Amino acid sequence: MDVESEVGKNTSANLMLDIINVKKAFGDLEVLKGIDLQVTRGQIVSIIGSSGSGKSTLLRSINHLETIDDGEIWLDGMRVNQPDMKGLEFERHINSVRQNMGMVFQQFNLFPHLSTMDNVRLAPMKLKGMEKREATQYCMELLAKVGLEDKAETFPANLSGGQKQRVAIARALAMKPKVMLFDEATSALDPELVDEVNLVMKQLASEHMTMLIVTHEMNFASEVSDHVLFMDQGVVCEEGPPNQLFSNPKEERTRSFLKKHLQQN
Amino acid sequence: MNFDFTPVWENIPTLLTGTGYTLLIALFAAIISLVGGLAVSLTTLYGKKIFSYPLRFFIWLFMGTPLLLQLYLLYFGLGQVGILIPALLTGILGLGIHYMAYNADIFRATILSIEKGQTEAARSLGFGRMQTLWFFIVPQAIFRALPQLGNNMIIMLKDTSVLSVIGVTELVLNAQFEIANTFRPFEFYISVAVIYYFLNLILETSLNLFEKKLEGRR
Repeated sequence: MDVESEVGKNTSANLMLDIINVKKAFGDLEVLKGIDLQVTRGQIVSIIGSSGSGKSTLLRSINHLETIDDGEIWLDGMRVNQPDMKGLEFERHINSVRQNMGMVFQQFNLFPHLSTMDNVRLAPMKLKGMEKREATQYCMELLAKVGLEDKAETFPANLSGGQKQRVAIARALAMKPKVMLFDEATSALDPELVDEVNLVMKQLASEHMTMLIVTHEMNFASEVSDHVLFMDQGVVCEEGPPNQLFSNPKEERTRSFLKKHLQQN
Repeated sequence: MNFDFTPVWENIPTLLTGTGYTLLIALFAAIISLVGGLAVSLTTLYGKKIFSYPLRFFIWLFMGTPLLLQLYLLYFGLGQVGILIPALLTGILGLGIHYMAYNADIFRATILSIEKGQTEAARSLGFGRMQTLWFFIVPQAIFRALPQLGNNMIIMLKDTSVLSVIGVTELVLNAQFEIANTFRPFEFYISVAVIYYFLNLILETSLNLFEKKLEGRR
């Protein structure tokens, strides 16, 4: 395939993420049955849905942590999945694409053998060739932004869950990503630690970071999002602005999901 | 029966020379076994089949046969076909390669024990496959392997004594020389045992300190 002609096809307007008819199956289990999703620059989109609805798989597919079976994923005019690229060529391609996406995991996945500072600093130094002094100063600003400048020399084992997740956010931000992907960033946290992470995410939102958020927290989703998707059994069942989707859902499945969730909370 | 340790004391320079050789052999064999073991484990895990299959066979071979036999083969066997390696070098290589097989197995297990999320976090930042191994997986795998590697090194230090059979003048063989002169086997062997014990005590204590220092980074 002529990659050159593919690039540019979707650079139009402010489209940051363009997901076209994405399909993914694990064996016989179809997890994504043709998902379409557009995220424009600076937009904050939340994906809600019950476990097994495919929302995490979709997010992981965007970062190519899962290989999709069919469809197209575009990030700011770059095609993420390249079915015709093989081996080293694809490896180089995906490494450079991933440097433009920040991913935050449910289980934080901090590097336990590195200090907080090194967790944040290593990627810009090794991947962007930033000088150590410059990187240290830059990453200290990021740590200050998530309120952890005093923990720079601490190791992850000595941080609370909320602190770990804030370091993970700083680590992802250090690569100056075009879009941040949050995969249930607060689901593994004790309830009293959820707010400190949400606060950081809200701050990012106020700075017009483009964000795609998979979450179980309806209140948070309705508060920060510009657009909300409800996924069910591998399809986007309903989508719309949060006030409409949460207070006046059209689909029966959305209604029953929200009812169940609001009861739980 | 009365014990007399005076002959031991009089011949302490011979024992100390032997101790020096023992430490030298242990040091170089340790380096070979650790660096080689890591290289072997990475190759068997991620290398091309043409390299990984022979290496797996190698591990199986060296773990399945006695060290003594391997030393005989390296020294007398190769000597028969005209490959003459000095005893000291044979000993270091033999011991190093023997423990390389064991260490490779330990590294393999600890590399596989690192959570998938670590690789995903590194890859999602844009690190390549090799960079991910080098910066994140291997360091953590080494930390996790330390207690078992330490045990292996303690066993290896004691196994340097096997090298006496191919004429390496390490601690045991040097003691035997002096036993032949003084006819005091009990006193000499007891003294040699004490020396081994103290060497391993030092090794174990420093390993423990090192592990303590790394605590909280795993």
